[in-house]
Amino acid sequence: MTSDSSSALPPRWAESLLRALLPPEDRDSVSGDLLEEYRESMVPALGDKAQAWYVRQVTGYVLRHAWTWGALVGAILVARYSFDTLSPVQYTPGIISPRSAVMSYALMGTLALGAGWQALRSGHLRSGVLVAFAAASVGGVLSAAGTLACLAIWHDPETLRAIQGSGGLAEALWGVPLLLLPIGFVTGTIGAIAGWVANAVVHWVSRQDTKTV
Amino acid sequence: MADVLGAFEQAVLLAVVRLQADAYGRAILKDVQARLDRDVAPGAIHATLGRLERKKLLSSTLGSGTPVRAGRARRYYRLRPSAVHALNAARTAVDNVWSGIDWPLTKARNLS
Repeated sequence: MTSDSSSALPPRWAESLLRALLPPEDRDSVSGDLLEEYRESMVPALGDKAQAWYVRQVTGYVLRHAWTWGALVGAILVARYSFDTLSPVQYTPGIISPRSAVMSYALMGTLALGAGWQALRSGHLRSGVLVAFAAASVGGVLSAAGTLACLAIWHDPETLRAIQGSGGLAEALWGVPLLLLPIGFVTGTIGAIAGWVANAVVHWVSRQDTKTV
Repeated sequence: MADVLGAFEQAVLLAVVRLQADAYGRAILKDVQARLDRDVAPGAIHATLGRLERKKLLSSTLGSGTPVRAGRARRYYRLRPSAVHALNAARTAVDNVWSGIDWPLTKARNLS
């Protein structure tokens, strides 16, 4: 190991993202393990490419935190798509159908809950927003994959007409997944604020309890 | 009943057994990589350690940091008695499954 590698620094933004994502009790130990591996193994072996390795690891941590919420988002969208395909309804432009309303609230609720839970655990607002955004991205990809799988199973003319009637294939494949990103950001921010406030309240209450004891 | 352990969980727990007092995240990562002879993401190790701790198979304490980790504390892991039961049960199950079979399998004798 060279003296260069022992003081090499990973991308600052990535390290800061990782630390924001972790609960306080794991923040030093996990980021320390990753920094040690980066300096002792990756920089000597990969040189400049070690930074890309570090970013990949941090992406892995983000996806691990967002995976469950993303899977839920994907499941909600595929369920809606299946309902529209197997039991089509006539949509009237300008009027939000109960089916659309239920899906929208379920999506926003899931993303806000994911962000809130993350912010509550980590005490960081931005980590909640990040998890919601990542969950929206994962959910979008899963929804597109689910749509294609459904299409492979049901593609008779009647089903294709039903798909057209509910917004068309383009909307299901990339319209909705792309729309999820700003929704994830906005509802994620709201959920993260709620989680962050809850974290502050929990800490305040535990400090009061400590003082009383 | 002892917890049913997956192969990766067994690799992580056995790394803790091997490393004894030096069982912290990166040391466990290196041991698991060497034993499984493949690249393993640090995130997979940390997720597994967290899961095993929640299942009450491991306990942990924070130790001191080193300059190469910018002074950040190491988290050292120790096996709980339930982990010893679970590892023994896992080993017994594998031995039972393989009982009476010559190892390694050879194409001529074992495949049609």
